[in-house]
This record gives sequence, C-alpha cells and structure tokens, in this order.
Amino acid sequence: MSFQDKRMSLKEAVCRYVHDGDSVYYGGFQIMVPMALTHEIIRQRKRNLTILNASTDAGGLDLLVAAGCVKDAHLAWAMNWCAKAPYAIRRAFQAGEIRRFDLSNFSATSALLAGFLGIPFVPVRGNIGTDIVEYNTDDLKVIEDPFTGEKITLARALRADVAIIHAQKVDPLGNVVAWGTRGVTDEFGTMGSRRGVIVTAEEIIDTEVVRSDPDRTIVPYLKTLAVVHCPWGAHPSACRGYYGNDIRFCEYQGKYERSADLLPKFLDEWIYGCEDHQAYIDKYISMFGREGLDRLKPKTGFKPKLEVEYGYHDPTVWQGVPPYTDKYIRG
Amino acid sequence: MTSSYRLAELMVVRCAKEIKDGEVVFAGVGLPLVVVSFAMATHAPNMILFTEGGSIRATAPPGLATTVDDPVLFNNADATFGMLATMAFLQRGEIDVAFIGGAQIDKYGNINSTGVGTWSSPETFTYFAGSGGANDMATSGKRVLAIMPQDPKRFVERVDYLTAPGYLDGPGARVRLNMIGGGPSVVVSTMGVYRFDEITKEMILAEYFPGHSAEKVRANCSFDLKAATDVRETELPTEEEIALLRNIDPTGFYLR
Repeated sequence: MSFQDKRMSLKEAVCRYVHDGDSVYYGGFQIMVPMALTHEIIRQRKRNLTILNASTDAGGLDLLVAAGCVKDAHLAWAMNWCAKAPYAIRRAFQAGEIRRFDLSNFSATSALLAGFLGIPFVPVRGNIGTDIVEYNTDDLKVIEDPFTGEKITLARALRADVAIIHAQKVDPLGNVVAWGTRGVTDEFGTMGSRRGVIVTAEEIIDTEVVRSDPDRTIVPYLKTLAVVHCPWGAHPSACRGYYGNDIRFCEYQGKYERSADLLPKFLDEWIYGCEDHQAYIDKYISMFGREGLDRLKPKTGFKPKLEVEYGYHDPTVWQGVPPYTDKYIRG
Repeated sequence: MTSSYRLAELMVVRCAKEIKDGEVVFAGVGLPLVVVSFAMATHAPNMILFTEGGSIRATAPPGLATTVDDPVLFNNADATFGMLATMAFLQRGEIDVAFIGGAQIDKYGNINSTGVGTWSSPETFTYFAGSGGANDMATSGKRVLAIMPQDPKRFVERVDYLTAPGYLDGPGARVRLNMIGGGPSVVVSTMGVYRFDEITKEMILAEYFPGHSAEKVRANCSFDLKAATDVRETELPTEEEIALLRNIDPTGFYLR
C-alpha cells in the first residue's frame, strides 16, 4: 500500500475496504476488540463474512452474527465474558445460519502465523485426540511427522482478505503502534491478510514520533488500507492505557444478547440508530452519564523507567585509519 | 476456621494449595486467575504466572485481572509477549501447571468447554465459548488442574464434545498420541476434590466439601465414581484466607 495519508471516516473505511463475502481477521482478544468497526459493519449490512481470530470477547461477534453479517467463524473462543455465554452465536448455529470451525488458541494463532509466514500450514502440539480435529477437518489434520513417524497436528494457514483492528496509536500513513503485548495475535492476522488492515485508533500521531521508537510498531504502513481516528473504538472492551473493561455495559449488552427478541432492539438503539461511533458514545453519556466513562479511566503513573537509545555508528570514522597489524597480521 | 465463606472461596483456597512455590503456572480465564493471585500472595510467592494474553510475571498483579489480557497483568510484568510466544512455553513442555476451567468432565478427566448436545446435529447443540487455550494447556502442561461446577450433567461417563484431553480412553492413550504433558492431576468441583488413579487413570474422589458426604458427591456424578480409601472432608478456609481473597476480588466479580 502506498505511502500516503490514509485517514478517513469509519463509514468510508468500511464502505471501501470490507466487501460482502470477505474473510475478515477480527482483531483483539478479550480486550482491544474492534467494536467501532463491528458496529459500522453492522450498519452497512455487510453479508457472508468469514471471521478469523483466536479468541474474542465483549460480544462483538455475537452482534455481528445477530445482525446477519457472518457466514463462518474459524476461532477458538467467542463470547461476551460478562454474559457468560455466546447466546447469538449459539442460536445461529442451532438454526444452521452460521458454521463454526473450532480450533484451540494455539492452533488458531499458529494458523495465523502460517498466513503471516506465507506458508500453507504449521505443525502444532495439541488438538490431536479431541473433537476439535474430529470436526474441524478444514483447518486441522493429524499426520505422521515425516522425520520421526510420530503423530502431530497440522494447522492450515488462515489468511483473511482484510483485517480490522483497534490500536492505541497510529500515524496517518498507517504505522500501527501498540504496547503491553504486541497485539496478542494482531500482528500475524494483520500482516497475513491479503489486502491489508483497517485500523481504528485512540490517537493519531506524527510519523516522526513513530519512527523515534520503531520497536513499538506492530504493523508497518504498507499493510494499512485505512486509518480511522476513533476514541473509545474498543468500548465496551478495554484499550490498554486508555480505558478498562466496561463491565456494567458488557452485562447490560449481555442481557440483550441473551434474548432473541431483545437483541434486535439493541442493534436498533445502539448501532443502526447511531450515525457513527461518536453518536454511540454520546448515547452512552446521555443514558449512563459522563461518570460512566470516567470510571473506566486507568490508574496511571506507569511510564517506563527503561531508557532506550537508537543511536547508530557512522563507519566514516574509519576513513584514513590504517589497518591494525601486529607481528602475525601484516597490512 | 471460619463460619462464613462462599463456595467459590472454598474452591479457590483449596485449589491454590495444589500450586507449589516456584512453579511455572499457565492460568486460563475465570477462577484460575483468582487462584494464582491468592497462591502468589500466600504460600507461593515465587510462582511464575503465564497467560494467553501474553503476560509473564513473577509478581502478583497489582489488582484483579478480569481477563487473561487485562492491562493489570502487564503492569510491572517481566515480559509482555503475545499468545504465540507465551503458549510456546507449553509447546516446549516448560509449564509445570496448566490450570483450566470447564463445563463438563468425564471419568478420564477429558473436559468439554465447547458445548453440549450432538455437534453434528446443530439444532441439538448448545455452544459455549469454545476451547480457548484449554486444549493446548491440557495437552502440554506437565500437570493439569481443573476447577469447575459439578452436577450429574457435568460429571458424565463421556463428554458430549472432547475439547481438552484428559486420559482420553484410558491408560497409554496420551503417549500413543505423542502428548508431552502428563495429563490431569487434580480437579476441584463445587462439591469436592478429585485425583486420578495411577493405574486406571480414572477420577477418584479424594475429598468432599463440608456439608457433603462421599455418597452425596457420588449422587451428583453420572459415572461410577470411586472414592479413595482415605477420602476425607476438605478443610475449611481460615478467616485470614477469606479476608485475603476478598481483598483480591473485592466486588465479587468472580467470587459471588
């Protein structure tokens, strides 16, 4: 992807880069869930998506499934942890509306790693001997190790058409910055994607700031399709350093998820009825008060004490310096 | 001894005693996160904690972790890797204790956290969240601890969906499939504590909780549960243990 300013609205990003029938790497884990992107995909009524991830919380996938956006899901774990069950996914599976391709966290991560590496599969321990390999023959296969003859599971590469992630910071070019784990699985899912990634972020920062500490870049700009400035973009899941899990809201949303009759009302009120993510946050404030958001602010004062220096050495200092010699080594 | 404790508190305190000081423990989401914090604050100050979210830490997190990638786990951690690198310690056989929850278990300690019903007849199948890391932990941890609710539908002859391997169909099965981990060691349920017979690999009742009896626990189990010859009542948690636990989870996020 080209070297250009990729900032755009949430609406434009999803409209341009998520297509019906796409496979989508769904970022985050139990926190950093791309909820603003989830809501926008629902608003734009995208259809027949295949979701790829290891694990996902906050009911984001339940909402996507309830809104009829999802066809297949390849993952290890999905629910709204505060709701205690994946109600919408459960109903859709029972109705034959979605297919599940279950993996374990490590086999899903390894499948994303294989995609990242551009290779067809990777061997993993685990999954062997269980119903995971019994029922997910699309992604897993037990073979004999060609070197030792011992049994081992292969996880087939998972490569998405497009990735969606929420990040702490990103520059206008799309260099994605994360800290406090390097995105759990986001670097593999994102860089393994075929077309690239849509990034929502709490803050947009200058490229020169990113380049001053490139160790924190988890995705380089050339994999980035769109950059969306989106504060609270992971709400009600947490964004490290910005806000914690909104446990009360997850419980509240979970009560909607639990009921097939009520869940469409949540979609109407909180997603279709909100023009964009700011409108969702404004609605939150109008219903639960600014103090609801204030409660999510993290304890701060934990800036790194470790100083890092990216200084380099200039080899021109050797100009004019004669070769080192001794009695054995002569010029 | 204490007069007032919640069932979950008894389970956590009892389970923590299975962790030895200095061990490397991989903890899944839920009660395991409380157990490890409790163990680190009491008898296992040198325990090392791993989570799927990527945290590796030799100190107890400064607050309650509500998820396995909760920011509190990365505050003053020793290393913050992603899922691949922390779970690679399992793959290499370097995790002493893999600690998971579950929804259903059978007599060989096979655990179901995927769903109940018949998977191939979707209309009958009630999905739970899925494996998460439970399968990887149960396959490759040197030993496995499990903590879970008990009733006759949860303690069954055969799990509806085998998510995380116990001893599979009995002695020798894990070795035949080249699993590097030792398999389940202890299960703590809402009614008692279980170990596994060294020869048959079947789950046996080691302790029943106060207020229960071996018979009452057997009545809440759908397979023919054998009791250890020295089966006994579990010790009650102390006042200090309960106070410490409530300090770890003051709002009852896990311990309601």
